[in-house]
Amino acid sequence: MSDKKPYGDDQLKILFTREQIEEKIKGLGRKISADYAGLDLVLVGVLRGSIYFLVDLTRSMHIPFAIDFISISHYSEQTDSTGVVRITKDLDLSITGRHVLVVEDIVDTGLSLGYLLRNLKSRDPASLKICTLVNVEARRIMEVPVDYKGFDVPNVFVVGYGLDYNEKYRNLQFIAQFDRP
Amino acid sequence: MGIITISREFGSGGESVARFVAEKTGFLLVNKDTIVAGLAEHGIEVPAPEKEALGAENEENNGRERRYIEAMHDFIYDLAIRNNLVILGRGGSILFRDYPPALHVRVIAQFTERVRRVMKAYSLAPETAVKLVKEKDREKNLYYRQVFNANWNNLRLYDLVLNTEKVGLEDAADLIIAAYRIHAEPREVKDGPPPGEMEERVFTPPAEAEADQFMHPSEEEFAHMLDFYRIRWQYEPRTFFLEWDSEGNVVEAFSPDFYLPDQDLFIELTTQKPRQAWKKNRKIRRMKELYPDINVRLIDKRGFESLLKKHSIDQDQGEEEDS
Repeated sequence: MSDKKPYGDDQLKILFTREQIEEKIKGLGRKISADYAGLDLVLVGVLRGSIYFLVDLTRSMHIPFAIDFISISHYSEQTDSTGVVRITKDLDLSITGRHVLVVEDIVDTGLSLGYLLRNLKSRDPASLKICTLVNVEARRIMEVPVDYKGFDVPNVFVVGYGLDYNEKYRNLQFIAQFDRP
Repeated sequence: MGIITISREFGSGGESVARFVAEKTGFLLVNKDTIVAGLAEHGIEVPAPEKEALGAENEENNGRERRYIEAMHDFIYDLAIRNNLVILGRGGSILFRDYPPALHVRVIAQFTERVRRVMKAYSLAPETAVKLVKEKDREKNLYYRQVFNANWNNLRLYDLVLNTEKVGLEDAADLIIAAYRIHAEPREVKDGPPPGEMEERVFTPPAEAEADQFMHPSEEEFAHMLDFYRIRWQYEPRTFFLEWDSEGNVVEAFSPDFYLPDQDLFIELTTQKPRQAWKKNRKIRRMKELYPDINVRLIDKRGFESLLKKHSIDQDQGEEEDS
């Protein structure tokens, strides 16, 4: 599929093309391969948005690694006021003593990722780092150390390349700004 | 928004200078007439005709005048959100004192020269012109003292002082525009409090006062969200003093809504209209100047809504998937 807008949707404004994304991911793959050469690396994809990114990222890497997935619940206005974040799908692999790289599609407030990092840290990995395709610093509430990042974007809503709006737009091969109705 | 404020002595030609500046820059000129007309559109009338300075005689009258002046300040702040302004008088240099890109100008001339100009402009006898100039100066002095508790003749309120005996009115305008262009670059912050005084400037209420009585539903929502992500927080635990009068009394203070001890971060939420958000931004700027080591972040209406919406969307999806 090319960069033309699907869904006949004129609310999309392309920020990064397929070519720009491919090039960026190749760069990240090279850097991660170099940094983790000879180490026991576990890539932890955060469901669901990161799967597209994770697939292309791993294809651009040239070192051995393991892949696992994790998913957590999110806050909403409807959440019971006594509710707390929890892991809805845990890792199948043990990460104790191994080098963990968390792969995210987007880091914005840092709230859910902050929780995830605290949780993973308690399992005593040899190291714990973050790789995200999109970084929205302007929305950050909780500081999280982003070690590898694809694109910095301002305080706008973005879709495509795994990022969704009501589950739509994940399969776009570009990243676009979306003006929500 | 670009802001140029012009304060002038009566008879100095400051009004013409302001008009030239507005014409040459395309900035909107804000003077007494535009304010009176603008407020009248909102049904707000000048309380005591021909008299804008606060009278000391009558408490009730004072109350009306104060409300009018507050409305006027809000009106000016509103205009400033979407427009570049040249503000003539009205205490503009004080209203925008904490907005660094603003340029504050004072236009002056010698008393005798101002009297001469006033005689000519209004065809007045010398005695009448002397009286008028003195009266106008007194009025401005009184206005600044009563509305802002400030000294109108304090030259530290201004970035640029122009004497219109030395420079023509249009040239004065050109100088102001040149100064504005140089000045509009962000400035280095200066004149923070002496380091030793920092502790005294922070007020911490006693622990029992902390009852989590949220001022706004959005704050409660935000607290729930922090709880959800198991992030420790305190509600309005500290008050920062921002402004003192000449006698050292605190005249402005700021209590950010939340403190996250693990992040060492203060958070101020605003779900208000842009006007109030602008004022909060000003306070946060001031706070960053005075307390550079304190981390404070403003989350505005848009940011907060997108946070909640994003999360509600997740929830909606979950329900759909279950069915």
